[in-house]
Amino acid sequence: MSTAMRSARWNIVAGTGRAVARLGKLKLAPRGTCFSLSKRAQLARDRRAMNTPLWPRLSKSFFVLALVASALFAQQPDELLQHAISLHQAGDLDGAIKAYRDYLAVEPDSLQARSNLGAALARAGRYDEAIAEYNLGLQKSPDNPALLMNLGLAYYKTGRHAEAAARFERAVALSPQFQEQVTLLLAACYNTLGRYKEAVALLAPLEKDKAGDAGFDYLYGTALIGDGQEGGAAVINRILSHGDSAEVHLLRGTLELTAHDSDTARADLEKAVALNPRLPGAHTRLGELLLTLGESERARAAFTQELALDPDEFTSNLNMGVLAKQDQGYAEARRYLERALRTRPNDPGVRYQIANVDLATGDLETARQSLEVLTKESPDFAEAHATLATVYYRLNRSADGDRERAISQKLMDQRDAVPVGSRPR
Amino acid sequence: MRRWWAGAAVCVAGYGLWVAAGRAQPEAKGPHFTDIAPKSDFRYKTDNNFTGRKYFPQTMCGGVAAFDFDNDGRMDLFFTNGAKLPEMEKTDPRFYNCLLRNRGDGTFEDVTARAGLLGKDLGFSFGVAAGDYDNDGYEDLFICNAGRNTLYHNNGDGTFSDVTERSGITKPKDLLSVAAAWFDYDNDGKLDLIVSNYTLWTPQTDKVCGVNGQEYYCHPKIYPSVAHRLYHNLGNGRFEDVTDSAGFGKELGKGMGIAIADFNGDGYMDVFVANDTVRNFLFINQKNGTFKESGYEWGVAYDENGNAHSSMGADAKDYDNDGFPDLFYNNLKGQIWGLFHNMGGKYMRYVSGMSHISRLSEHSSGWSNGFIDYNNDGWKDLYSSNGDIDDMGQVSRQPDTLFENVDGKEFRDVSTQVGADFAHAGFQRGSAFVDLNNDGFPDLVVTSLFERPRILMNSADNGNHWLLVNTVGRRSNRDGIGAALKLTTGSGRTLYNHVTTSDGFMSSSDKRVHFGLGSEKAIESLEIRWPSGIVQTLKKVKADQILTVTEAAK
Repeated sequence: MSTAMRSARWNIVAGTGRAVARLGKLKLAPRGTCFSLSKRAQLARDRRAMNTPLWPRLSKSFFVLALVASALFAQQPDELLQHAISLHQAGDLDGAIKAYRDYLAVEPDSLQARSNLGAALARAGRYDEAIAEYNLGLQKSPDNPALLMNLGLAYYKTGRHAEAAARFERAVALSPQFQEQVTLLLAACYNTLGRYKEAVALLAPLEKDKAGDAGFDYLYGTALIGDGQEGGAAVINRILSHGDSAEVHLLRGTLELTAHDSDTARADLEKAVALNPRLPGAHTRLGELLLTLGESERARAAFTQELALDPDEFTSNLNMGVLAKQDQGYAEARRYLERALRTRPNDPGVRYQIANVDLATGDLETARQSLEVLTKESPDFAEAHATLATVYYRLNRSADGDRERAISQKLMDQRDAVPVGSRPR
Repeated sequence: MRRWWAGAAVCVAGYGLWVAAGRAQPEAKGPHFTDIAPKSDFRYKTDNNFTGRKYFPQTMCGGVAAFDFDNDGRMDLFFTNGAKLPEMEKTDPRFYNCLLRNRGDGTFEDVTARAGLLGKDLGFSFGVAAGDYDNDGYEDLFICNAGRNTLYHNNGDGTFSDVTERSGITKPKDLLSVAAAWFDYDNDGKLDLIVSNYTLWTPQTDKVCGVNGQEYYCHPKIYPSVAHRLYHNLGNGRFEDVTDSAGFGKELGKGMGIAIADFNGDGYMDVFVANDTVRNFLFINQKNGTFKESGYEWGVAYDENGNAHSSMGADAKDYDNDGFPDLFYNNLKGQIWGLFHNMGGKYMRYVSGMSHISRLSEHSSGWSNGFIDYNNDGWKDLYSSNGDIDDMGQVSRQPDTLFENVDGKEFRDVSTQVGADFAHAGFQRGSAFVDLNNDGFPDLVVTSLFERPRILMNSADNGNHWLLVNTVGRRSNRDGIGAALKLTTGSGRTLYNHVTTSDGFMSSSDKRVHFGLGSEKAIESLEIRWPSGIVQTLKKVKADQILTVTEAAK
């Protein structure tokens, strides 16, 4: 794969001093890092990378950004800090973490040490602690774009895509030169968050330069298909020119699923899973298809497999929540739905499902409050109005129930008036 | 008008006239079903005239009614059939409707022509409802059609007369009516009629839908929704269309099955109509000749996710014996069949999940259905006739399902344990529950597209006891439709049921009220609350009999 981010220069302000760091190139690599100080340019990648998921490739690369802060803060002559940096660079993460913490016990305001500690923690897979350290650093320096980037990457790695996207957006707003590095990550976040239109807007300008880059095409194709744009099929054809791949089958299966072509979609999605069982989203799409075919047990298994790869995957959590609710396992349903909500905070569909759980468990007041907010924020959400009507009736608020019922009915009538086209049920 | 009053308030009819084929060698430990249709010589096959072109109504064909048209104590069968399309005429005998007289020996005689029920002039027929609308002691028939609907009066001599025109039962042009139910909504002693309508359709307005040269049956949303129609029985064979004044006219749906029950226990019958891809309707009787559509209030308009699915057949019975009728409807594969528990007559709670219906039902596309205590254990089980809309794949032909009620709390699938004839895979549509041999165990009659119907006799071999109650109204409608029955066994167990012929889809079942008693032989009391308001209590009733109860004078 030949996805190489152009180099960019950026500044960070650390502690009492100001350091100018030069970032190397952000690269998409099958197993590699993303942000690096190395001067090495990544000019091309083996086509084999086609079969490697983009998300892990992107997310595995985050930690380097803060690691390199050791160089940025080199003018701090503290031996303890130097020792920590040495350990860090030597790969002794436990030793480095301890040394950074020792140093921070003495110099709690050192942004350099805080940032490096976050990097070491992240590299050790201790993302929650890393996030905590980055956030502590941002309390001292809220507009530090490097910290925001690293925090965004840590959030990305832990599947908190909404929070990741917010940090990336903020970092780019503060330092526009980050735009190029962050575009693919941000687009990946948007895809995960269902914000396909924004992903398309980010990626479309790059199409001319990057068309043919499989990683880009996959991201772009996902965004186009998610947004319901016809260009998705063309992108699939472009990826096909690189040969058979799990990504192609996933995208094609997704398109076919949308077109209610169940048999073909099933073949493609099963092929995607067979070619690359770790391809993010493949199990989810297959699960969605199986649900439409009435195979909920197999759908459950598919969603469970997806969640084993990514416990925060939105759609699988949502569907598992709905399935659990269907079985009237309300506590389990709530767990899945709240996890989905963590990935897509404020998602109206998830909030609606949680309100339904409240209604089903007899918590009418909570259901009412949630649905009132939801219908205010999403006034066209017919089902939410319908359920709110039922809640009002149960609360003996007939006039309110009648009103919500009328709204719901009007919205559904409008929806029904839209031609369904020439398709089976 | 003839009157046929029972000589005494209570009399016992004969039963156990024949045994089901195969009973001597049961296939399973519990009751199972054996198809006895092959033993009878009749022409009827459900024929929707599918010849390649897919006309929208073809998916709905094969209504069935179980009723005793000649009052010989044996339940007879009537089937509706399709028509030549696009002519929409029964141009060939293969499209005729069919009346089968129960000979009482396990065979049936085709008496359609003699009875005047061929329906040559009816076009494409769908549902059928049996009920004695004129209280003359003979069950009449109402048939839903594309084209004019038809009311047949039972002349009491084995023949029927088309009295539609005289009755005043009309409908808007091109209205496609699919199911009907008799009930007395104003408790005036005369059966009224509710008809569920699907859309406006003619062969000329039929739409063609398909992808890549393959034709599908169109999505229902391509057709307009319409109002269901209520006809008030004025007496003397006349009806008045009160659709608008009664509150039905403003609710537009795509009607399928109808379930009649007194959901809130106020003594007046309410109406549930399952709609296809449109929210379901629950019309609560306001006791003043009007109804209020209360699907939202009762929580049955949509499923638990606020979705309107392809609701098909419906039935309302008290599956947990708590004194309030519950509600069931089925729908298509991949959707979840809806079981709703009546919460004390105030609202319905969706219990498809906790009852296991959701998992049990997901592989099947259901049409007709109903609560049926097939094993006489006192718990009403759930039957569904199944088959895809369209013949589009290997799993389009489907077997029926029977979910056994476990202590009124949950259901388990026993479909594969009730005989090979039950497990027949097809495009099943209509179904009726009826005790054809009066042995106290409900039998099943099921239609299937392109096939002869199955007449599935219950092996009745588990030794459980039962009671069949044949209600005869005096102040109430003669069928006693709407009467609520409460049975208390010797051990104090209480069982509930009510009189209705309407269940499932396009179908009409045995009006006699069935109670399974399990191992109990003693019935402490049987309380009947008649539509007239009269409450009649019988004490120390013997089990294992068909008990005819005539409404007390007061």
